[in-house]
Amino acid sequence: MNPADLQALLPILIVAGGALLVMLVLSFKRSQTLSSLLTLLSLAAALASIPMAMSADADRIAPLLVIDSFGFFYQGLMLILTMVVTIFAHSYLEKFRMERGEFYILLLLSLVGAIALAQASHFVSLFLGIELLSVSLYIMVGYIFTRAKAIEAAVKYLFLAAVTSAFLLFGMALIYARLGSMDFITIAHLLREHPLDDPYLLAGSVLMFVGIGFKLSVVPFHQWTPDIYQGAPAPVTGYLATVSKIAVMAVTLRFFYSMDLHQQPGIAAALTLIAAASMLVGNLLALFQDNVKRLLAYSSIAHIGYILVAFIAGGERGPEAVTFYLSIYSLALLAAFGVIAYLSPSDRDSDTIDHYRGLFWSRPWIAVAFSIALFSLIGLPLTAGFMGKLFLVSAGIQAEEWLLVIWLAANSAIGLYYYLRIVIAMYQTSDDPQSEDSTAPPFALIIGTVIGLLVLSIVWFGLHPESLNLWIRALSTQP
Amino acid sequence: MTLATLIALPFAGGLLCWLTARYSVAACRWIALLALGIGLAWTLAYWNHGSGPDGWILEEKISWIPSLGIHFQLSLDGLSLLLIALTFFLGLLSVLISWHSIHERVGFFHFNLLWILAGTVGVFLATDLFLFFFFWEMMVLPMFLLIGIWGHANRNYAAVKFFLFTQASGLLLLVAIVGLAFAHQQQTGQLTFDYNQLLGSQLQPLAEFWLMLGFFIAFAVKLPAFPFHTWLADAHSEAPTAGSVILAGILLKTGGYGLLRFVLPLFPDASETIAPYAVLMGVIGILYGALLAFAQTDLKRLIAYTSVSHMGFILLGVFAWNEVSQQGTVIQMIAHGLSTGALFILAGFIYERIHTRDLDQMGGFRTLAPRLAAFALFFAMASLGLPGTGNFIGEFLILLGTFREHMVLTTLAATGLVAAAVYSLWIVQKVFHGKPGKTQSLPDLNRMETLILTLLLLGLVGLGLYPRPVLDVAAGPLEALRTPVYVTAVETALKEDAP
Amino acid sequence: MNAAIEYWPFGVYVGAVVVVIAGKLLASHFLGERHRERVTGEAYESGILPTGTGRLRFSIKFFLIAILFVIFDLELVFIFAWAVAIHELGWPGFWGLMVFMGILTVGLIYEWRMGSLDWIPRRPANKRSRPSTLSSKPEPTR
Repeated sequence: MNPADLQALLPILIVAGGALLVMLVLSFKRSQTLSSLLTLLSLAAALASIPMAMSADADRIAPLLVIDSFGFFYQGLMLILTMVVTIFAHSYLEKFRMERGEFYILLLLSLVGAIALAQASHFVSLFLGIELLSVSLYIMVGYIFTRAKAIEAAVKYLFLAAVTSAFLLFGMALIYARLGSMDFITIAHLLREHPLDDPYLLAGSVLMFVGIGFKLSVVPFHQWTPDIYQGAPAPVTGYLATVSKIAVMAVTLRFFYSMDLHQQPGIAAALTLIAAASMLVGNLLALFQDNVKRLLAYSSIAHIGYILVAFIAGGERGPEAVTFYLSIYSLALLAAFGVIAYLSPSDRDSDTIDHYRGLFWSRPWIAVAFSIALFSLIGLPLTAGFMGKLFLVSAGIQAEEWLLVIWLAANSAIGLYYYLRIVIAMYQTSDDPQSEDSTAPPFALIIGTVIGLLVLSIVWFGLHPESLNLWIRALSTQP
Repeated sequence: MTLATLIALPFAGGLLCWLTARYSVAACRWIALLALGIGLAWTLAYWNHGSGPDGWILEEKISWIPSLGIHFQLSLDGLSLLLIALTFFLGLLSVLISWHSIHERVGFFHFNLLWILAGTVGVFLATDLFLFFFFWEMMVLPMFLLIGIWGHANRNYAAVKFFLFTQASGLLLLVAIVGLAFAHQQQTGQLTFDYNQLLGSQLQPLAEFWLMLGFFIAFAVKLPAFPFHTWLADAHSEAPTAGSVILAGILLKTGGYGLLRFVLPLFPDASETIAPYAVLMGVIGILYGALLAFAQTDLKRLIAYTSVSHMGFILLGVFAWNEVSQQGTVIQMIAHGLSTGALFILAGFIYERIHTRDLDQMGGFRTLAPRLAAFALFFAMASLGLPGTGNFIGEFLILLGTFREHMVLTTLAATGLVAAAVYSLWIVQKVFHGKPGKTQSLPDLNRMETLILTLLLLGLVGLGLYPRPVLDVAAGPLEALRTPVYVTAVETALKEDAP
Repeated sequence: MNAAIEYWPFGVYVGAVVVVIAGKLLASHFLGERHRERVTGEAYESGILPTGTGRLRFSIKFFLIAILFVIFDLELVFIFAWAVAIHELGWPGFWGLMVFMGILTVGLIYEWRMGSLDWIPRRPANKRSRPSTLSSKPEPTR
């Protein structure tokens, strides 16, 4: 461990240090605002340290982490998203009378796991990252412990995540038993000599995919998603749906692409099936939801399915499309959860579609923001989601995955319907004056500004996708 | 002024409308009027402007998404000029008819209205296929909101149905566009969405067929052609008057435009394969639409089904693929835009007065409102294709052009004219003749309404008596469309046929 | 299929697990004594008759202290591992451990200030007073 290594690890170190700092300050001064400000500060510092870390003269922190621009991009993305989550959470938690400062410790700790995953190149760092991410999430999901739903969600998440972690670990163990290495690169080398139909390897990779698939919530490992999305406080759901998925997707990309697993016939077939099933099941079940959070949960299953299309396609455009789509999908989804958090009174989240009836006429700005976020999720022009779909479709067509691409198109059409239900509700004229208290949440101006910035970035990337895509194209992975 | 500003004009006008409506509703309406007026004047100023060496009057190209070879590329030729002029003209009328009928959320209404128009103008101008798709999708959403917010009782159902049909087919179009671009890349090594370059791509027959089908279905839904027409009646009957006018007058034309501009030039061989079936679809549409129209008791639904019938002619004319039929197609598109727009406006006027669209509750309006009745008679006659109106020229040219290619089907299509006479006269008889029903008093047209209808009337008569200027403007571009980059055997055969 | 045969020890191991567990369950089922008498269900306290009920209420504090003990005790294991290899690790190892100790110290400070180490919260650690766990009644079961 030399100074260059430390320099390259700055983002992780700063976030971890931030968690300690928040904890220490919390011991002497209990103030939510102070805690969240410190959190924001350390996140900003970590973000600012990325250029410095990139200039470090280090390739990898042997054997656990690799240092490359791919990892730094994902780290930066997650840092920005977590900053947004922090701001939302601050306003959201202000409404509760409970210990609120600890939330930020957990948030930072889980982020340490997440950004470590972006650089993980070893089973140990993969597992540690996923566990650090999830263990903190268990508590964050149930943070509002006065709500029965939140506790239920936390317990469900705990049990299922623990079981699937065991699957992941067992899968790793089987692969290690056969190949004698836990390093992605070494495994990739060894795999060239070993046929993949070796039962150890096959069982190992299937078990590992169960663990990863659970985190990504693809069919058939998706059943937890709606309950947890619904039960968790809106900012946590936003975090769970974006940062946690981005982190796992990043490491999955690295893992699969380093050994071209996605092009092994058997695995490609399995992935194709999973992608197709995720799209269909996610969209179909979302059709029947009256709860916006559950609806977004099911739709997130479908969106991961869309992303898998480009993932399977691979090639030059595949990973780029995955990264682009993931980035802009997260922006839109976080904006949506921001709106939900903004509108939620303290006793429950306003998450049924009825809450949004006539919103456009009572609060036009927030409704427009929500609409744009939903339009981006649908993939309408002028929003980034449209460009994301274009990149996914391009990647798929270039790899001549015609069936998957057409399947994607057909499923997007189903997806339209349920997003539109929310939009229609918002633009409907409500004859009866809403009994809903329309008081603004604490720090409404700040949270409103943040939502506004998210929406502006969605529109900006929708008009000028190259501003983001050029970055993504320049990314390289370090073998 | 560049082509981009022509699109930006309604865009910016729409935003401005929305913002000013909070302070002054009248200002909002005037802004909308002004934006569309400038657009119309600008378009007409290029009427006799000579075209460049490659056939375009004006061209613009800015790099947009270089990594996928996508450009912000707009080109204007005679065909797009005609349709853009129609767009602005009907847009102006829509603002005028909404002047007294839309009182709620005026700003947002005009915002949507102008954005639909902006999207449509973009569709007519774009010559980068991706940009075309961008605008193609963009005009749908404001239309959805227009129906969903200001529509009649069953508006949500109609709005969602409209949106689902167009979006689902739109996604097929996207897949086909991207597929075409990558097929082109495989051949030439260059990834581009440029229409002019894609024209030259030689595809595998199978690939060409499937890609063509993606385009064809998207346009056939918008047109709408026979099996895909079910969204139309709901969307039309539930939309506010201005929405119906825009929908019938302009949005449907984007389907016809797409067929003319993209399907046949890009996929000449596959289009040749599908032509008999497309013509058959057209004929079924003509007859079936007329039959359905006759069975309606809802005035707006009736007019909507007449659109299905008239749009069948477009399909016929496009796929006959010769000069006469194409000229007829262009005239038919414009004439249908004007005449059906006028019928929807009339239906709107009646609805404002008696608050029903039910034909059974109408009758005897001739004595109550003679001016209204006179106009209605004229537009009903135009709709059935009376000589002297633009519709006659359009339908006649189409039938003439098609007859040589598909004799039996054309004969069948011609019987559609009889059916048109039946439903057109049915409207007149049901609404304006007979004894006055429950309605005892019916205010006649006021000055603004008379002005609107007079403008439409003049347009139709002008088109019917002296179509020459329109034909001249359209002739060059149509010729260019019919001359593919590589001349196929079919094409030479067609040329020999031509006089 | 040859590969599968190659891994026969694994199959044997899995089989052995099943056999052993099933065997234990079955053996205790057949061999175990079964009788129902007055004292069968009573708690066995080295032959002494139990007094009172077995369902005692423990203060949550016991668990808290136990958890805290386990956490800090476990850290000792890491320090022990370092101590064994102190020469090989040298100064970098020392500073690494210092960071580790620093994190632990922060944890301890936090714990202390939060009042987790107080058996009875004498003064609230923050402005709001929290209800004491000791005196609170157990939640009625639903």
